[in-house]
Amino acid sequence: MSAGRGSVYRGRSGQWAFVTHRITGFLVFFFLLLHIIDVSLVSRPDLYDEVHELYGNVVLRLFEVGLLFGLVFHSLNGLRIVMVDFFPGGIRNEKRALSTVLFITIVFTLVGGYVIMKPFIDGRIL
Amino acid sequence: MSAPTATPADRGTPQQRRPRQNSEVWSWFFMRISGLVLVFLALVHFSITHILNDVTDTDARFVAERWDNPLWRLFDGALLVLALLHGLNGLRWIIDDYVRSPVKRAATKAVLYSVSFALLAYGTLTIVTFSS
Repeated sequence: MSAGRGSVYRGRSGQWAFVTHRITGFLVFFFLLLHIIDVSLVSRPDLYDEVHELYGNVVLRLFEVGLLFGLVFHSLNGLRIVMVDFFPGGIRNEKRALSTVLFITIVFTLVGGYVIMKPFIDGRIL
Repeated sequence: MSAPTATPADRGTPQQRRPRQNSEVWSWFFMRISGLVLVFLALVHFSITHILNDVTDTDARFVAERWDNPLWRLFDGALLVLALLHGLNGLRWIIDDYVRSPVKRAATKAVLYSVSFALLAYGTLTIVTFSS
C-alpha cells in the first residue's frame, strides 16, 4: 500500500476502534442536539406529547437501538482509552480490552434492543 | 487521542523540561474525566427512559413527576452540560483533523460553537425554569 492519498494508516484493530469511537461520538452528539430541543417542548405538554409519540414508532425504535449501540460502544471504548492513558502497562492489555468492549457492546445492544423492539415484536405497534 | 507531547523545539534546560500545561492538555484531561462521569450518567439515563420504561411512557407527565425532585433536575443538568461540552470538544478535534482550509475551519467552528452554546442555554433554561 502506498503512502499517498487514499491509503489508510494500518493501525489494525486500534485504528478501527478509533474510527468507530469518532463516528459513534459524532452521531450521539447530533442526537443530543435534537434531544435538547424535543425535551424543551415540555413546557407545552400537549405539543411535547405529540412530538414525543414519534419516538414510539418502529423506525425511531430501530434508531434508538442504534443509539444504544453507539452509547455503549463509546462508553466502554472510552474506558479502554482511560485504561491505556492512565494506567502504566494498560497498553499491554489494549487488544484484550477491545475484545471485551465489543463483546459487552453486542450483548447489551441485543438485550436492550429486544426490550426496545418488544412492542413491535409482540405486534402491538406497526 | 493521546496527550499532546512536547516537540524538540519545546526543550529547554533540564529544569524547564516539564510537560507543557497548555489548554490542549486540559482539553485532553477534561475528555477523560467528563467521559468517566458520563459513562454513569448517560447509561443510567438511557436505561430509565428506554429499558425500565417504554419510550412511549416517558410523556410530559413523566418528566414533570421526575423534575418534582430537584436531584433529578441536577442529574439531568449535569448530563446536559457534560455531554454537550464533551461532544463540543470532540467535534472541535474532528474539525481540526478533517477541515483543512483555514476559512472553512473557522466557519465550521463558528457554527458548532453557536449551535452548542445556544442549545446549552436553552436546555439549562428548560431544566431550571420548568414548573408543572
